[in-house]
Amino acid sequence: MGHDHRSSGPSPFLDGDPEREQQRPAAQRRTFLKVAGAGGASLLFSAAAGAPAQAAPKSWNRAYVLVVDGCRPDEIDSGFMPNLRALRDGGFNFPRGRSMPILETIPNHVMMMTGVRPDRSGVPANSIFDRTIGEERTLDRPGDLVAPTLLWWARKHGLTAGTVLSKEYLYGIFGRQATFRWEPRPIVPISGHAPDAFTMDAALSIVEQFDPHLVFVNLGDVDRVGHTDLTGGLSLEVLRRTALVATDQQVKRFVDMLKATGRWEKSMLVVLADHSMDWSLPHKVISLTRPLEADPLLRGKVAIAQNGGADLLYWTGPASGREAGVRRMLQVAAAQPGVLSAHDRVRTPSLRLGPNAGDVIVYCQAGWRFSDPSVVSNPIPGNHGHPATGPIPFFLSGGHPAIRRGSSSEPAYTVDVTPTVAKFLGLPAMTGRTAWDGKSLLRW
Amino acid sequence: MLAGGALVGAAALVVSPFDDDEARAALAGASPYFRHGVASGDPLANRVVLWTRVTPTPDATPGSGRGPAVTVEYQVATDTRFRQLVTRGTVRTDAAADHTVKVDAWGMQPGRWYYYRFLHRGVASPVGRTKTAPAYTSAPARLRMGVVSCANLQAGYFHAYRHLAARNDLDAILHLGDYLYEYAPGQYGMGQDDVDVRRHVPAREMVSLADYRQRHGQYKEDPDLQWLHSKYPFVVTWDDHESTNDAWRDGAENHQPGEGDWATRRSRAHRAYDEWMPVRLGSTAALGDGTRLFRSLRFGTLAELSMLDLRTYRDQQVAYPVVDPAVSDPARTITGREQLAWLKKAVASTAVQWKLVGNPVMIAPVTFAQLPTDLIDPVNDVTGLLPRDGAPYNVDQWDGYTDDRRELFTHIRDQGIRDTVFVTGDIHSGWAADLPYDVATYPLGRSAGVEFVASSVTSNNLKDILGAPPRTASLAVETVIRTANRHVRYLDFDSHGYSVLDVTPARAQMDWYTTGPRDQRNAGSTWAASFQTLAGTNKLSRAAGPVGGN
Repeated sequence: MGHDHRSSGPSPFLDGDPEREQQRPAAQRRTFLKVAGAGGASLLFSAAAGAPAQAAPKSWNRAYVLVVDGCRPDEIDSGFMPNLRALRDGGFNFPRGRSMPILETIPNHVMMMTGVRPDRSGVPANSIFDRTIGEERTLDRPGDLVAPTLLWWARKHGLTAGTVLSKEYLYGIFGRQATFRWEPRPIVPISGHAPDAFTMDAALSIVEQFDPHLVFVNLGDVDRVGHTDLTGGLSLEVLRRTALVATDQQVKRFVDMLKATGRWEKSMLVVLADHSMDWSLPHKVISLTRPLEADPLLRGKVAIAQNGGADLLYWTGPASGREAGVRRMLQVAAAQPGVLSAHDRVRTPSLRLGPNAGDVIVYCQAGWRFSDPSVVSNPIPGNHGHPATGPIPFFLSGGHPAIRRGSSSEPAYTVDVTPTVAKFLGLPAMTGRTAWDGKSLLRW
Repeated sequence: MLAGGALVGAAALVVSPFDDDEARAALAGASPYFRHGVASGDPLANRVVLWTRVTPTPDATPGSGRGPAVTVEYQVATDTRFRQLVTRGTVRTDAAADHTVKVDAWGMQPGRWYYYRFLHRGVASPVGRTKTAPAYTSAPARLRMGVVSCANLQAGYFHAYRHLAARNDLDAILHLGDYLYEYAPGQYGMGQDDVDVRRHVPAREMVSLADYRQRHGQYKEDPDLQWLHSKYPFVVTWDDHESTNDAWRDGAENHQPGEGDWATRRSRAHRAYDEWMPVRLGSTAALGDGTRLFRSLRFGTLAELSMLDLRTYRDQQVAYPVVDPAVSDPARTITGREQLAWLKKAVASTAVQWKLVGNPVMIAPVTFAQLPTDLIDPVNDVTGLLPRDGAPYNVDQWDGYTDDRRELFTHIRDQGIRDTVFVTGDIHSGWAADLPYDVATYPLGRSAGVEFVASSVTSNNLKDILGAPPRTASLAVETVIRTANRHVRYLDFDSHGYSVLDVTPARAQMDWYTTGPRDQRNAGSTWAASFQTLAGTNKLSRAAGPVGGN
């Protein structure tokens, strides 16, 4: 790997994918660039129009947000992740790190990069029932995200930002927010994500080639091994350990690169997960479709957005019947085996999910999963979205002198990432209607 | 005034009033009104319970019902000379309160040491030292507590109290019950032969209110206990021997029909406990306003300590040793419904990191029959014979009430609760155990938290009962238990002593110390083992060594 990261050679920007780009308005067309990855394969990045080839010297600091998707906090200490453990122990740990409702990938990545809760970002879950089209769909469109992002905020203040997101839907929802975006590939069928080895190639390259002030990385393997193995039971956890070891090695590559290239001393790494992980056996499945349809009041008037450990229920009947419908949905849902709790969203303001989350939020117990519309719709044992999957690893590390060593009993949430990174990079806090809900975890 | 009383200000409370043996002896002798010492407890951020007993006349002995009503002044200061007073006041007491004095002193700053004393007719009590809890929203770097249980005065000297008192690195003392014992001399002394190293007074099993008061008074005259009380605030709960052996809601193993109505006897025990212990019973320091003992104490964002009462509300223990499937009957409870709901809410707190549970009896499942949990229900559908969590070996513990445990552990799992630590006494042995959701599949499965069990201060353990030398016969039993229960990481059936619980944001660690022969007045203390649970893991690992010590 070459270490001449501030080369004044020819720009790596290349024209690419012209057919797709021609479908966009001229002002929005992406510029494509191909970069040789660490493994020799070429990596495809897109860049904002007018993006500089390298970061402007606006801020010396560099912030890297590494999301080990679906990692449980105890797995850092499991012996399978020695590099992450060393990284944590050399930095500042928040043992009370926690994901926020709905404990799914998209909303928590959005909380990380917006600093606001879903009632303000418009992104409460992976999957919602879209009332405008009358269908359940994934929140993966750039227009779904209505809050300003840290990626945009950095650019607005003259810094550069990069995204290396292994999952297609994450790449989708963050759209063109970053200065430099890796287009995830190759994509594993079923899982819809790029393996960590490729993701890390891209992360290394984006840092080495473009040196953004902020890079947002999602490593999907640890999560996706839970979603792609359908055998269930304990063997799944054994397979997961393999993923833990492999992902840990990828993180090591990133740290080694920072140290080898002299970036470590100016770097802060925010390492966390978006949610934890639970496993269910094949017979511990909740399907709400049938009992809801069996109820005379609810039949044909409820739509379901299934989010693994949480079902979102939407009243689709006349507005005049909504109150009674919600009450009945709560009753029916709470009576099902495996249901932990059911919440009237409007009357549970602490959830802060916003109207996109529907009318009733239903959580499953640990060891269960939702499967709608039928019991075979969701064969995936690895599961999250319910309170059991709230705990996440969450720590700050890096060689920057501002990174203390130790740990704190203070709470830390995914929504705290934006204020923390902004403070580190010297960005002003958003104010007024765009003020962040999270808080900076830096004490300086 | 009693002869020999020290005048206020005249007592030489200048150098190491807590750690200098001569000073302590002089103070004890110079405070005849306060021969039972001083104590503090249940520290909150701005208040602490202060306790003493005044002996206004020589005949006003504990339980005597004699002696005049008197007024006692209390003072709290930031210095040992009481020049910087923080708060002061007076308390009226009389024979109806057995001349005990208990006040919830307030107006203090969070996380600070204070000195306190009592005054009667110009005579000062020994000086006590206490510490308030950290502020609610502060993030303390550490909480360190001494942990003790099961101190039977007849079985020996309280070395554990003395060695803890000699330390200066603790914040509080956690006493998990069996603070005193009900037995008559000759019953349940030291070893197989029940040798009374010291004889209980009164010389009979405590049954009447006067008995309970007198026994409390005897324990409070123990110099090691007095020293420890004077140095640190206590956080206490009772187990059974504060009333009588194997107590439950409507009776006890050691309560016989000839000893009167059980409810009456228990109310006497609770009354004496309320009078003689620095605790908020019924949520206040006032006497007689309630007997609710389960409560929470918070230490900033670092920890909340939930103290349980597992005697007052429990159903009767099942028959033993025959395995009775009733141990898992959902209708039976060890906590009572209200306390379990309260505990579930406490451990689900999002305001603190460590959920510490002061737990009078062991919660870790300890079984011999192993069958995967997923198979137990089907087998029971046919036979109805199997306890859902295997064959327990001690049905006086949570093992005898497994439905409560299952409900609590399921709640911990469902809510994604981390960092729950049960700190336990009762069983006269040292244990460290994970708390598996399913014992049969452990360690492949997960754990709800960990349990640290402190050994007894003096009460007989397995080697004492067997009459075997240390680390001989017990080793075989320990091996069997650990083999059948893979979640048990540490087990010492032989030692007496104390523990130190050290909690930081990174981990919670328990150190076990063993003390020397119980019948030798000044026996030593040795570190034995240390285990920790790293934050977020819900499992144990061996720690490198003990913390602090000074």
